[in-house]
Amino acid sequence: MGRILGLALAALLAVGVLAAIGYSLYPRISGSSPQGLQTVRGVIGSEKQPFFQDPEVVAAFHKHGLDVQVDTAGSREIATTVDLSRYDFAFPAGVPAADKIKRDHKAKATYAPFYTPMAVGSFQPIAKLLESAGVARDAGGWYTIDMKAYLNLVAKNTRWSDLPNNTTYPAAKSVLITSTDVRTSNSAAMYLSMASYVANGNNVVPDDATANRVIPQVAPLFLRQGFAASSSEEPFRDYLSIGVGKTPMVMIYEAQYLAAATARDKTLTPDMTLMYPSPTVLSKHTVVPLDGGGDQVGRLLSEDQQLQQLAVKYGFRTSNAGAFTNYLKSRGVPQPPQLVDVIDPPAFEPLETMIQGIQQLYKGS
Amino acid sequence: MQHNAVRARIVASLLCLLALTAACTTSTTSSNPKATLNVLAGSELKDLAPVLADFEKSTGDAVAMHYVGSLQGAEQIVNGDSSDVAWFSSGRYLSLLQGTRQRILAQQQIMLSPVVLGVKHSTAMRLGWVDNPNLTWRDIADRSRARDFRFAMTNPAASNSGFVALVGVAQAFSATPDALQAGDINTAALKDFFAGQALTAGSSGFLADSYTRQQDRLDGIINYESVLLSMNASGSLHEPLDLVYPKEGIITADYPVMLLRPNRRAVYDRLVAYLRKPDVQRRIMTSTGRRPAIPDVKPDSRFPNRVLIELAFPSSLDVVNRLLASYLNQIRPPSHTVFVLDTSGSMSGSRLDSLKRALLNLAGADTTISGRFAGFHNRESITMVLFSSSVYNRRSFQLSDTGDNSGELQDIRSFVNGLQAGGGTAIYDALEAAYQIAGSARARQPDDYYSIVLMTDGENNQGRSAGTFLSDYRGWPAAWRTIPTFPVLFGEGNPKELHQIADTTGGTVFDGLHADLSAVFKDIRGYQ
Repeated sequence: MGRILGLALAALLAVGVLAAIGYSLYPRISGSSPQGLQTVRGVIGSEKQPFFQDPEVVAAFHKHGLDVQVDTAGSREIATTVDLSRYDFAFPAGVPAADKIKRDHKAKATYAPFYTPMAVGSFQPIAKLLESAGVARDAGGWYTIDMKAYLNLVAKNTRWSDLPNNTTYPAAKSVLITSTDVRTSNSAAMYLSMASYVANGNNVVPDDATANRVIPQVAPLFLRQGFAASSSEEPFRDYLSIGVGKTPMVMIYEAQYLAAATARDKTLTPDMTLMYPSPTVLSKHTVVPLDGGGDQVGRLLSEDQQLQQLAVKYGFRTSNAGAFTNYLKSRGVPQPPQLVDVIDPPAFEPLETMIQGIQQLYKGS
Repeated sequence: MQHNAVRARIVASLLCLLALTAACTTSTTSSNPKATLNVLAGSELKDLAPVLADFEKSTGDAVAMHYVGSLQGAEQIVNGDSSDVAWFSSGRYLSLLQGTRQRILAQQQIMLSPVVLGVKHSTAMRLGWVDNPNLTWRDIADRSRARDFRFAMTNPAASNSGFVALVGVAQAFSATPDALQAGDINTAALKDFFAGQALTAGSSGFLADSYTRQQDRLDGIINYESVLLSMNASGSLHEPLDLVYPKEGIITADYPVMLLRPNRRAVYDRLVAYLRKPDVQRRIMTSTGRRPAIPDVKPDSRFPNRVLIELAFPSSLDVVNRLLASYLNQIRPPSHTVFVLDTSGSMSGSRLDSLKRALLNLAGADTTISGRFAGFHNRESITMVLFSSSVYNRRSFQLSDTGDNSGELQDIRSFVNGLQAGGGTAIYDALEAAYQIAGSARARQPDDYYSIVLMTDGENNQGRSAGTFLSDYRGWPAAWRTIPTFPVLFGEGNPKELHQIADTTGGTVFDGLHADLSAVFKDIRGYQ
C-alpha cells in the first residue's frame, strides 16, 4: 500500500514538475504586461479609475495591442507636482490642467474623448425650497440652479432655517454647496470657475489681477465649509449614504450621478435629484500624450466605438450625442435639460492664482 | 509522525501542481501564506473580528489588527508607521495632520454611527427630553451647569467618540453655523456643558462598562449610537437609555478604511469590496448596531427614521488642537490623580529608570502632540505615594501652569529624578493610603475626577493583606468607591491580585510587561 502510493506519488511528481516549469515560463498576468502587449502608463484623475479598471475597457485596449496601466492623482497635482517622466500620457479632468501640461511638455496634440458638465446633487425638498426662494427652477425631472442667486444667499450668510416657509429642512446650517478641497481637487476648481465667472460680472477671469480681486468673494464658498475631502468620490458617497442631513447639496460631475442612475442598483433614492448650475462648466477629460504610446491611447479613446460606448456607461458624454441620450433612454433615466449657459474655465494661471489665494486664507484661518 | 507529515505535504504540493495555475496560487497560501495586511485600528473595531475572520476565509488574505488610540494612531502614521492600512472611526484628524504628506492613498467608508447622547429614561422624562425635536445642546448645557444632568464621555484626546462630541458641541455653541475657527471657541458655554461630566474613560467600550457600573449616580452617556443601542440590549441597565439627537446637529463616525501603502492596493480593494457587499453590510448592522454605508441596505427599525443634521468639522489642525488643549486645561472638571509607586529593591536599575522616564514624559518631557495631550494639565492635582516595606513618602503637586517653562512641572521632574529603590513591598498599605488621600479630597471637591494608578513589580509581602484591603474597601463611603484604581502589570506583579483590585474598584489592568512603560502611562492618562 505504502509502496504503491510512493510510486504513484513519484509519477505525479514528475508530471507536476513539468507543469510547474511550464507555469513559471508563462509570464504572470498581474504586475507585468501580458505577452505581446505594449505597456502604456498614464496618470489620471481618480474619477476615471473605475472606467480604466473595467474588464471590458482593459480588453478593448488589449485588442489594439495595448496594456494600459494607470495611477491616480488630483488634476492640479498632475499639472504641478507629479513626475510625468514615468508616464506615457496624462489624463486630468479639466482643460486648465491639460493646457498647462501640454505647454510644459510641448505635446503636439491633445484628445478630449469625453466630458461631463458640473452638477449639484440634491434632494427634491431642497430643490423645492430653493425654487420658492427664486434660486432653482424645475426643468422637467431635473432642476437648474441660478449661481448668481445662490451666491447672493451665501453672501448674506443665509441659513436653511432663514428661508421663508421652510418646514421641510429647518436646519440652522448655512446654505452652502458641499464640495471637495479646492487645494487638491478638480471638481472644486470647476466650482471655483463658475463662481468666479459670476463674481467677475459674468466674465471668465482673464488674468491674475482679476483673480486677486475676486478671491474675497469666492473664498468663503470653501472656507466656510470647513473640512473638505480631497477626492470627488468622497462627498458623493456622503450624499448617497448619509444623505440630506450632511450634504443637502453636493458639487459633483454629472457622470457620477448618471452612472449610479443608469446602474439601477438602488444606490439613488427617489427623492434625489440633480440641479444643473447656470452657468455651468464642462469638465473636459483631456488626454495629453507624452509619447507615441500615449498618443495611441488618446486616439483610441476618442475614435474606438467600443471605448466611446463604454465611457457612456460611466455617465460621460461623448462627441456622439445620440449614444448618450439613447443610453439614458434605454435605462429609463430622464434626459438632462439642454445646457444653454456653458462657460469656459479660466486659463491655468488665473485659476491657480485664485486657488493659491484661497490656500493662504486657509493657513490664516 | 514526521514521515506522515512529509507525505501529506508532498501530496498537497502534487495536487497543487496537478491542478495547474489557478489552484496553485491558492494552495501556496497554506504553505507560504500571502503577506499579512497590517491594519492600525481603533479599539472600537474589535467587534468586527468575526466579519474579518470570514473575509480571510473567503479570500485567503490575512488581516492583523493592531489597536491604538485614534490621535496617537494618526501621529504614528504621519511619522512613518509601516502599517498597510489605517482604520479608525473617523479619518479627519489624520487628514488634517497629514497636511501635504498624502499618507492616505485611498479611503472608503464602511459603516456609520452618529455620536449622540443616551439619557436615562427617568431623567429624560423629568427634563422633558423624551421625543423632543427642539432639544438643543444649549438646553443640555443649562441642565449640566445646574448639576441636574450628570453624564459620561470619553477623553477627547484619547478616544474618537469624545473627540467627535467635543468638536460637535463646540460647533453647536459657536456664534456662526460655519466651520469652527479659533475665535469661535465658546469656552464659557463649553464649561457649562462639561460641568456635568462625571465620568471619563480612554475608550468608548470601557466608558460603557463604567457607566453600567456607576449608572445609579449618572443620568446619561455620550457615545456612538451603536454602543448605546447595545447597552440597551445588554440587559444590564436598570433603566433604558433614550437616544437624544440634539437639534443643532451631530457628527457621524464613518469608519473609513484608509490605504497607506501603494503596493497593497489589491488586497485593500478586496477588503473594501467584501465589507461593502450588501449581505456583509446587513450583518455588520445586525451584529454591531452601526448603520450601513451603502444606500441599498436600509437601516432597520432600531434606527430612528429622521434626518440627522450633520455639523461642520473644522478644516484646520490648529483649531482642533486648540480646542483639545482648552478642554484639557480649562473646560473639563479638574482631575486628581494619585500615583502609588513601588520603589522596592527589585525596582532598582532599568525598571526604576523606565518608571522615571514614563513619569518625566507626563511632566513635560514628551513634546509630541499626543505627549502634550497626555501630560499633566492645568488645575490638576498629582499626588505621589511612594512605598516599599511601608508608605514612606506622600507628595502632592497642585498645577496651575503647565507651560513649557513651568516651575511646577520642574518640581515634579526633580521629585521623580530623586526616586530610589530598596526594601519590601507593602501594596495594600499603600493603596489604602491612596484612598485616604483621594477620598478626603473628594469630600472637599465632589465634582472633580479621582483616580489611582498602582505601579508595582512584585507581590505583597509587607503590611495588610489583599483580604483586609477588600473588607476595608467595602466599608468605605460610596463616594470613595467610585474612584477607580488602574494597576500596571510589571515585573513579577501578581496578575490575579491586580485584576482583583481593578475589578473591585472599577478600573482596568494595563500591561507593562509587553509594552513600554511610557506608552502604558500615556494610555492610562486617557482614563484620568
